Amino acid sequence: MTTRPGPHARLTGGLLLWYGVLGGAVAWGVHVFAAWGLDELACAAGSERVAAVPLWQAVGLAVVIPALFTVGSLLVAALVWRRTRRAGEDDRAFGRSRMLAVVGVWSNLLFLAIIVLGGVAVLVLPPCQG
Amino acid sequence: MSTTTTPPPGVSAQDLARLAEHWAERPSLRGWFSTVDHKRIGRRYLVTAGFFFVLAGLSALVMRTQLARPEAGVVSPQEYNQLFSMHGTAMIFLFATPMLFGFGNFLVPLMIGSRDMAFPRLNAFGYWVFLFAGLFMWASLPFGAAPNNGWFAYAPLNQEQHNPGLHMDVYALGLLFLGISTTAASINFIVTALKLRAPGMSLNRVPLFVWAIVATAFMVIFALPALNADNLMLFLDRRFGTHFFDPSAGGNVLLWQHLFWIFGHPDVYIIVMPALGIVSAVLPAFTRRGVVGYPLIVLSIVSISIISFGVWVHHMFATGLPQLSYSFFSAASTIITIPSGIQIFAWLATMLLGRLVLRVPLLFVIGFVVTFVLGGFTGAMFAVTAFDQQVTDSYFVVAHFHYVLIGGAVFPMLAGIYYWLPKITGRMYHERLGRWAFWLVFAGMHVTFFPMHLYGLFGMPRRVYTYRSEPGWDGWNLVSTLGSYLLAVGLLLVLVGVVHAVRRGRPAPPDPWEGDSLEWSTASPPEPYNFPALPRVHSLHPAWDERTAESLGAGATADRILSDGRRTLVTSELDAHPERAVQMPESTLKPLVLAGALLIFFTSMLLAWYPAAAVAALAVVATIAVWLWPPRRPDEELGVTG
Amino acid sequence: MSDRGGVVAAATGAEALSTELPVGRSAGWWGMVMFVATEATLFACLLGSYFYLRFQYGPTWPPAGIEAPKLLTPLVMTAVLVPSSLPVVWAERGIRQGQRWRLQSGLAATMVLGVTFLALQASEYAEKLTQFTMTTDAYGSLFYLITGFHGLHVMVGLTMIGWLLAASLRGGSFGSHRHERVRNAAMYWHFVDLVWVAILFTIYLSPRL
Ligand code: HEM
Repeated sequence: MTTRPGPHARLTGGLLLWYGVLGGAVAWGVHVFAAWGLDELACAAGSERVAAVPLWQAVGLAVVIPALFTVGSLLVAALVWRRTRRAGEDDRAFGRSRMLAVVGVWSNLLFLAIIVLGGVAVLVLPPCQG
Repeated sequence: MSTTTTPPPGVSAQDLARLAEHWAERPSLRGWFSTVDHKRIGRRYLVTAGFFFVLAGLSALVMRTQLARPEAGVVSPQEYNQLFSMHGTAMIFLFATPMLFGFGNFLVPLMIGSRDMAFPRLNAFGYWVFLFAGLFMWASLPFGAAPNNGWFAYAPLNQEQHNPGLHMDVYALGLLFLGISTTAASINFIVTALKLRAPGMSLNRVPLFVWAIVATAFMVIFALPALNADNLMLFLDRRFGTHFFDPSAGGNVLLWQHLFWIFGHPDVYIIVMPALGIVSAVLPAFTRRGVVGYPLIVLSIVSISIISFGVWVHHMFATGLPQLSYSFFSAASTIITIPSGIQIFAWLATMLLGRLVLRVPLLFVIGFVVTFVLGGFTGAMFAVTAFDQQVTDSYFVVAHFHYVLIGGAVFPMLAGIYYWLPKITGRMYHERLGRWAFWLVFAGMHVTFFPMHLYGLFGMPRRVYTYRSEPGWDGWNLVSTLGSYLLAVGLLLVLVGVVHAVRRGRPAPPDPWEGDSLEWSTASPPEPYNFPALPRVHSLHPAWDERTAESLGAGATADRILSDGRRTLVTSELDAHPERAVQMPESTLKPLVLAGALLIFFTSMLLAWYPAAAVAALAVVATIAVWLWPPRRPDEELGVTG
Repeated sequence: MSDRGGVVAAATGAEALSTELPVGRSAGWWGMVMFVATEATLFACLLGSYFYLRFQYGPTWPPAGIEAPKLLTPLVMTAVLVPSSLPVVWAERGIRQGQRWRLQSGLAATMVLGVTFLALQASEYAEKLTQFTMTTDAYGSLFYLITGFHGLHVMVGLTMIGWLLAASLRGGSFGSHRHERVRNAAMYWHFVDLVWVAILFTIYLSPRL
């Protein structure tokens, strides 16, 4: 890795950084909307299924997929954090990435915790109980 | 720039003269109305918001006087309704956010090392709109037409058939009008912080206060539209007979509540977040060290501003959602306490590890921690559903949110006022007077609001204009009232302190506190151009950093002095690499004219003079068109080929 | 560095991961992005209100007495409005190369399409108003609020475009070094188009689902 990355690699790297920082937040947003919307609408329509799938499984998917997405984001943030270890006082791009990586690691943990708590609720509560 | 043959580095006397010529505004009446200087505008925000605070505070004193004894007759029930509604609405919308935006306006360009905001004219426009919207709402009170349905204006009580008269029209239009200002200011903060940071100030060197203001601005961008949509529908329902909130024709009252809280929950953080930013800005100077855990505080700011959007269902206990769908939101409300906790612990650690300098700003910070933590504690009690249903709509709730709002917003603001007064006015305040003010405010606050927990638990409902004598109510109500007078005296002393400083205060040196951020590298008060040479930032605490200081003095280069014109430097988004120098706009009256046209528009809508409203709308369009009209330039400069 | 492993390594190296992105945008660009973001949220709130009231209302939607909206006019309106973004793009590209004629003709084409859209909307209103109005029930309120508010945005967008056109015809306004305002207005216009697609789906298509 002594050569400088080309424009393509740079674009990918830059996007990866933001995935690591904000991936969890986005996943959580999707999770809340999908899980809440599914549950609310299906129950309002008086049915415990979505098409052929039982409602709890559909809602479960709205938990599992975002959770996996968040785990990926967490791993990327951790990777950035390790790769930028040699950030010196003066290399401000590295220092900045490293700071964002720390923010990413912790925020992904927070969002993962929220999503997992929602997952526990799916396992424990019957979907339409008022 | 080191290899060129430019004149020796450093700012020369000629540079200073030219900068003064390009940036100074001659003191004249026209100059007063047309200024676009962020420091003058910021000062005006602070003074105007302070004025609305006094009005809202006086309303509260009238309420407390009425409630001092059972069955008193100071005000009528109708007047009482208007008083608490105006008190709440004004405190939230016309005082808290604008006051903090005032700090932001004054400080953000100084802290990031720029010469003004990104859009100075928009900034002036935002101020005038804020002023006019505030006057618009308060003017309704003497006419007995003020909002009277509480600050969150629940449907169906906000509907025409239940609430005739102009009251809620003033609310809907006033908040729509004000929303223009808040949105404009938020966009301005975001763009300023992204593009105008001094060279070298990469994201990991941005002061925490600036992070807080930017996060707040993002919350405004995504939360305020919900309130605007709500008020738009409310006004249409009331005035033009639509049925959004009318269950008899397919509408739904809960729609109002949902939209309101989609805005309202983030709004709690919109108010508290910049105030917490003030705390992070004040602490380093009085603990002689940087705030512990900078990245974690950034994390906390960013994650709170995101998660706060996911907790609004919290406010809707009685609506019969399926429990499962409710739990997705309560997971968010549980986790959001973690980042808030992180900040508190980071500050406590800073105080423990640092060397405390016990001056008035630090006293207010300590008062903030105590009060805010108590408020957070009663907040956690609401998480117990049974308890929540017991105390909903009682004075317990009033006690809780005053602990949060006065603790979380007013105390930090007072700390900020004492801290930055030398910078804003160029004068020192009187320390003894400040201490007296602190102790009176602190004691008054707790004597007023602590008893409210008690009589709330004893069952006294909120929003009642009077009460029958009941055991446990009378005595504590009297205590609350006495406390509120004490609090008022304390706040009066703050005002006296400010006036005293402006009139008699000792001249302040540029950096009386040895603070860590860039505003302390400028004169007190700063010159119109802020920095003779824009700094080159080398660390998170630029004012404690010798290389940054050197870049302002002997190391200043022409590319950062920019004395030939009214110019400042644009830098890149993440790492603040210099991109180019840009021309900044001159002072102009157009922002004022535009805001005036909007005032006429909203007033005509309120009074149902629709033709006048149409004319005003045309005037708005015309003013904007003229405002943005491009100057004519020669084709070579534009680059035209055919 | 031509094998896949090398590409991954390059993209995940410290340097690539510290690429500055976004970078080099102007203040005006960011201002317009933020403005569009807050406006988009406003529309999201209105459309969200539509779905909320619809699902709270019950099985028959639109309520009895109002027929489900016909599709022909709105589809024609879509066919007029969505392509109207293309001339703006073309015009913007042109002025970046200093070709003023492209700017002017592109903007003019968009003006024509936009005005056609408004005319179609007016004719649709004329028909609908005989059936129901804003005060008939919540459905009517939603229909006229959402489409009317969007129409207002089209008008604002057209004002911007007309303003650019006027400034360009006067001369001395835009060129390859100065085209920021063209881009900002273009962004707004694309936004107005996209919102229309969301409205088409919400108001016209979703009652048939
Ligand atoms: C300065 C001292 C203050 C006093 C003595 C005071 C007193 C009161 C009282 C007595 C009420 C309850 C009225 C009722 O329910 O009947 C009230 C309500 C309220 N206060 Fe304060 N307050 C003060 C400061 C503040 C501040 C600084 C804020 C916000 C930043 C604030 C925000 C509110 C709000 C939102 C309400 C609820 C209004 C409603 O019920 O709609 N207050 N205040």
